[in-house]
Amino acid sequence: MDRLTGIGREATLAMACVAAVILFGLLSPAFGTGGNAATVLRNGYELWLIALGMTLLMAMGAIDVSVGAVMGVTAILTGQALLADLPLAAVVIVGPAAGAGLGLVAGAVVVWGRIPAIVATLGLFGVFRMVIFLLLGGQWLSGLPADLTRLVDWRGLGIPMGLLIVALVYAIAWLFLRRTTYGPHLLAIGFDEDRARLMGLAVTWVRMATFAASGALCGLAGVVYIGIYRNVSMTIGADIALEAVAAVILGGTPIFGGRISLLGTLLGVLLLRILQNGLMLIGVPSLWQTVVTGALLLGVLSAEVLARRLREGARG
Amino acid sequence: MTNVRLLSRLSVAALTAAFPIAAMAQDTPSVAFVPQLIGIPYFNAMENGGNAAAADLGVEFIFQGPVDANPLDQLQIVESLISRGVDAIAVSVLDASALAPLMDSAASQGAILFTSDSDAADSGRPVYVAQATDEGLGTKLIEELIARVGTDATIGIVSGEATASNLNAWIGYMQERVEDAYPEVTLLDPEFAGGTAERAAQLSTDLIAAHPDLDAIIAVASSTCPGVAQAIETSGKDIMGTGYCSPNTAREYLKSGAFGFTVLWDPYQLGYLTVWAGQQLIAGTPFAAENTVPTFPAPVTFDAETGILLLGEPAVFTAENVDEYDF
Repeated sequence: MDRLTGIGREATLAMACVAAVILFGLLSPAFGTGGNAATVLRNGYELWLIALGMTLLMAMGAIDVSVGAVMGVTAILTGQALLADLPLAAVVIVGPAAGAGLGLVAGAVVVWGRIPAIVATLGLFGVFRMVIFLLLGGQWLSGLPADLTRLVDWRGLGIPMGLLIVALVYAIAWLFLRRTTYGPHLLAIGFDEDRARLMGLAVTWVRMATFAASGALCGLAGVVYIGIYRNVSMTIGADIALEAVAAVILGGTPIFGGRISLLGTLLGVLLLRILQNGLMLIGVPSLWQTVVTGALLLGVLSAEVLARRLREGARG
Repeated sequence: MTNVRLLSRLSVAALTAAFPIAAMAQDTPSVAFVPQLIGIPYFNAMENGGNAAAADLGVEFIFQGPVDANPLDQLQIVESLISRGVDAIAVSVLDASALAPLMDSAASQGAILFTSDSDAADSGRPVYVAQATDEGLGTKLIEELIARVGTDATIGIVSGEATASNLNAWIGYMQERVEDAYPEVTLLDPEFAGGTAERAAQLSTDLIAAHPDLDAIIAVASSTCPGVAQAIETSGKDIMGTGYCSPNTAREYLKSGAFGFTVLWDPYQLGYLTVWAGQQLIAGTPFAAENTVPTFPAPVTFDAETGILLLGEPAVFTAENVDEYDF
């Protein structure tokens, strides 16, 4: 099995997506329409972007649980840039730039503070939440102009811009992983950080760059968020870190790093969104949707453990 | 040297802060309101209403609250107001169990403690100034909505946390009203979005897809209002959004037509009524079943059994009147 692509999990996930589509299509006449397909995809934009950064982080054995708050801060800055009548080209830069900055802060705390990523980003999550509160001043940011909405929903060759953005960043990430030394170095750090350091890899640089990239992707998600929802409340992004981690693990990138699958993450997000949409359409109460997602995650993980035991048992 | 200067500066500050309170405690009656937190539009509106009442009724009004909705901080503020000799103190209670022990110390120092906006029913408070009843809110929204979308409408509900007892109570009264009065109306089971606007938008989009004949969606939690509105705008369908949304949250959607109206109470009036109630308590005037309050168009009812002074019918905000409010 190729460590960089991880074929195997992807096939399972793709089949799960197809099975879900067929099942929901049979059970609900509203599911199999073009409009609903567009809705499912549109609901996935931010999660795809954030989960890509999370995939890179988890591949090198790190994690960032503050991604939702970073998206929140950058969404507010993007909204304020819109209200300040900045040119659209500047508006779309603000979010990713600020996100990369916040990502560097997280990276610095983890790398130079020598604090485990989950602890450091949990602390930053609280700090960024307070920043959101201060930026919003207890008010909601609403009444934003629709410029970004038109941009996100603009269609080129029938494909919405939001989806094109997602495809583009995944393609760029794939090229970096495949065509530069970044990919192997990332996995080497995830596999064994100390050994990577002894081998003379630029561990610090790779880690900082990955945190910055993840932050920039959160910022891009913030831009898309404003495009889709045109308002920001205090609770923005409260659930998205857990959803992203779930999608990444579903996609086959393990939580302790050393392996990566971009295609797996793409499919993991798609499966989560298909399930959420389809369960709703066939009339399952929304409270049960989280149960299904959780059960799916547990099922995949235990199947993996079971498969490994069987393999090892066969070998020994 | 610096310490001495700092000390003198501090004592001057303390004197100037304490002096007006001490002076007014002798002259005009003083009413304080302690909100759950300061700096948000809702409580700012209550403060404005309280100031207006203070000017109309000739009392001093003090508005002081914690910066982050912390029950302990709120308690300390109440205690400091008691020891400063404020005559009547209204509290929008954060921790219902913490108020009862304060009642005695307040009474021994000549202060009257009561609740407003959020209650502590078992604390022995003389009165609770309530914004609206759960039944009033639930029924009002259904009546207003069905008057607009017809008596055979299909209506979806998007709420916040499934555990929020006030939201569930409102939904319960909506269901009851529909069952009793509008047998042709289909009120779908509530969907729960938790606290985030994005989830509310996704749920609403899915609701619209699942029910092609949907006529209206009710956003029960204020956090779900923008999500519901956004989903309706995106769908481009003729669906009426509504809910318990503050004018500032819903203004844009009321004007774009995604929302037909929203229902809530007016915190400005609630602040006004709170100060009026404080003045009555200080004067020792008992509340009547129906009370005439200055500037209020209708009499304010008081239920002696529960000790609830009720602001009145919930307010309805529409595209026409939304600009008169700022909270």
